[in-house]
Amino acid sequence: MNQAQKEQYLREYSILKSQGKPFFPYAVAKDSIMAMIVILVIIFLALMFGAEIAPKADPTTTTYVPRPDWYYFFLFEVLRVMKNVPKFTPMATIGVPTICMILLFLLPFYDRSPERRIERRPIALAAGITTIAAMAFLTYSGANTGSPNSVDLQPPSSLSASQAQMFRAGELVVGESGCLACHVIGDNGNNGPGPVLTHIGSKLPSQAIASTLRNPTPPMPSFRNLAAQSPQKFQQLVGFLSELQ
Amino acid sequence: MPRPKRPGEAQDVGAFPPAEAGITVVDWIDERTSLSPGIRWMLFRKVPKGINWAYTLGSATLFAFLAQAVTGVFLAMYYRPDAAGGAYESIRYITDDAFLGQFVRGMHKWGASVMIILIFLHMARVFFYGAYKYPRELTWIIGVVLLILTLVMGFTGYLLPFDQRAYWATIVGVNINGTGPFVGPFLSDFLRAGPEFGATTLSRFYAIHMLLVPGAIGALIGAHLYLVSKLGITAPPWLKAEPEPELLEHSEV
Amino acid sequence: MPGTFEGETVNRRRFMNLVTNGAGGVAAVAITLPVLGFAAGPIFSRVPFEWQTIGMPADFPKSTYQTRVVEIVQGIGEAGKTTAYVRARDPSIDTEPEDQYNQFVALSSRCMHLGCPVRFVAAAERFICPCHGGVYDFRGMVAGGPPVRPLDRFYTRLKDGYVQIGPRYSVNSELRRFSPRDPGEPLDGVGQYLYPARFSTSQIPQS
Repeated sequence: MNQAQKEQYLREYSILKSQGKPFFPYAVAKDSIMAMIVILVIIFLALMFGAEIAPKADPTTTTYVPRPDWYYFFLFEVLRVMKNVPKFTPMATIGVPTICMILLFLLPFYDRSPERRIERRPIALAAGITTIAAMAFLTYSGANTGSPNSVDLQPPSSLSASQAQMFRAGELVVGESGCLACHVIGDNGNNGPGPVLTHIGSKLPSQAIASTLRNPTPPMPSFRNLAAQSPQKFQQLVGFLSELQ
Repeated sequence: MPRPKRPGEAQDVGAFPPAEAGITVVDWIDERTSLSPGIRWMLFRKVPKGINWAYTLGSATLFAFLAQAVTGVFLAMYYRPDAAGGAYESIRYITDDAFLGQFVRGMHKWGASVMIILIFLHMARVFFYGAYKYPRELTWIIGVVLLILTLVMGFTGYLLPFDQRAYWATIVGVNINGTGPFVGPFLSDFLRAGPEFGATTLSRFYAIHMLLVPGAIGALIGAHLYLVSKLGITAPPWLKAEPEPELLEHSEV
Repeated sequence: MPGTFEGETVNRRRFMNLVTNGAGGVAAVAITLPVLGFAAGPIFSRVPFEWQTIGMPADFPKSTYQTRVVEIVQGIGEAGKTTAYVRARDPSIDTEPEDQYNQFVALSSRCMHLGCPVRFVAAAERFICPCHGGVYDFRGMVAGGPPVRPLDRFYTRLKDGYVQIGPRYSVNSELRRFSPRDPGEPLDGVGQYLYPARFSTSQIPQS
């Protein structure tokens, strides 16, 4: 904005201001109603959901699955999305948030146009909507990320009771065997380096699944030891995978 | 000027009715502080026409901060920043045993979420209305610093219950700080007060959460509000300024 | 300059300005520097470490890991402990040079992405991190996901017939030893210079 535009703005603003009403009580009334709504919402949330407390902090745990508070879900999701490029881990952790904050901080310095109506600021409109959509999407997918140590699938309704039991047992074996570290099953697991297993049962017969588990292509580890030591668990694993149609 | 009353002389009750005592107190303070012009300037300044409910988001955020400050002060009456077990035990006491404990802790916990949502909504309003432009750039910058400080409050406060979720979130958060090149390792040593999560990490987070950052937020809110009052609230950008008819006549003459 | 004698450069007003700024500055620095130093002190004080006995050599097979709880910070009870995965050195797979400190391989349970707790899955012979899906192979080398270097290790030694565990150290992808770094800090290439060693981490005790 040059000097003339600045003066033009101040002139127009002083006219609009002189036509307005006093802050007290006209604006304050709205503010007070809003304050009342805010405190009622907080009280409602406190009464509805309370404040639970998780088990005591235990740095020696090897089974706990940490998850952040909801307002850090977007960062959590950025870290998860960037996981296949270890070289860029510091970029995801420090780089992206720092750049976003600097861009936010310096906004008045690089957006110097005098136009204030959003429909005439296409770049600002696009940037704003993109940011909101990205944050919403990342928060949503961060919130819905399952643990890579368990599968949450319903057995298909076509299965008999004993088959459904097998399905459940196999789910557990998959969770504790760490398959989800490299494979996606349903909503759980990491996409890569292994292939998606959500529909593996329709692609491979159960014998092929069993032999792949015994003699996999590296870097996948062999499950020969599991087959030798607890054949029942191995059967449940194969049974579960071949039901993933 | 009337002669001062002597002790024992009949009291002149009529000249000093109780109903005016309040006004008298205000006058007494004002005579010594001269605050009333400032308050009048703050309260009776005009706001441009056309303001709507979106303009209440800023004051709503301020109110959420005040609610956090009040509940936080009272939670501090029961809380012990002791990593060896006292912290978790005191939070468990507040949650399970203290009268209204879970309610007050719930208000603090959910108030944090509400405050962050309100900040983002307020920021979106300012962004889409172009309200960060001349002459309000400094107000925006102070606002961004307030946003960062609020996220710091969220991060430091999250550790205090010292349960599993708190501990691991803090480990991850401190390590994220550590990935900054050159200064990162020393920054995370500073946050933890040592190379590992140690005896004074919790009290460090506690001091930052309840003294350092709230003080800074309070001071910056003061500056933010002063600038808002001084520069005036932005008019909705779609309003066109039309000079008053009498002003137009003057300019045509 | 008005109000100044001939040839005078510091008049009374300028002198008072200097005094105000100087004294105010000294007062501000005198309060700020000590408290900042006080707060930053832990960065520069080295944490002591003791060898801890974790069992007999026969307790640790070559083929799988045993978990042991190790105290890494004294005086805060449970919060100062961590888990180590320990096995005996297997010369057929452990290719790093052998010395008195690696007769037993002790891996830290902290994921080298951001420090979440990793879990050893015996069936897959993998370490798996539940946060962002880091995977390590049997030797603790990165097998997939975002971790930037292999799992940290602990010095171990044999003393009077017992296995003892000492301070933690970090390794790069060739298993070269470095003083302990925080998770998320790569040590390959320029990494060791981008993330310098800290003054506070425990050194291996001489005994």
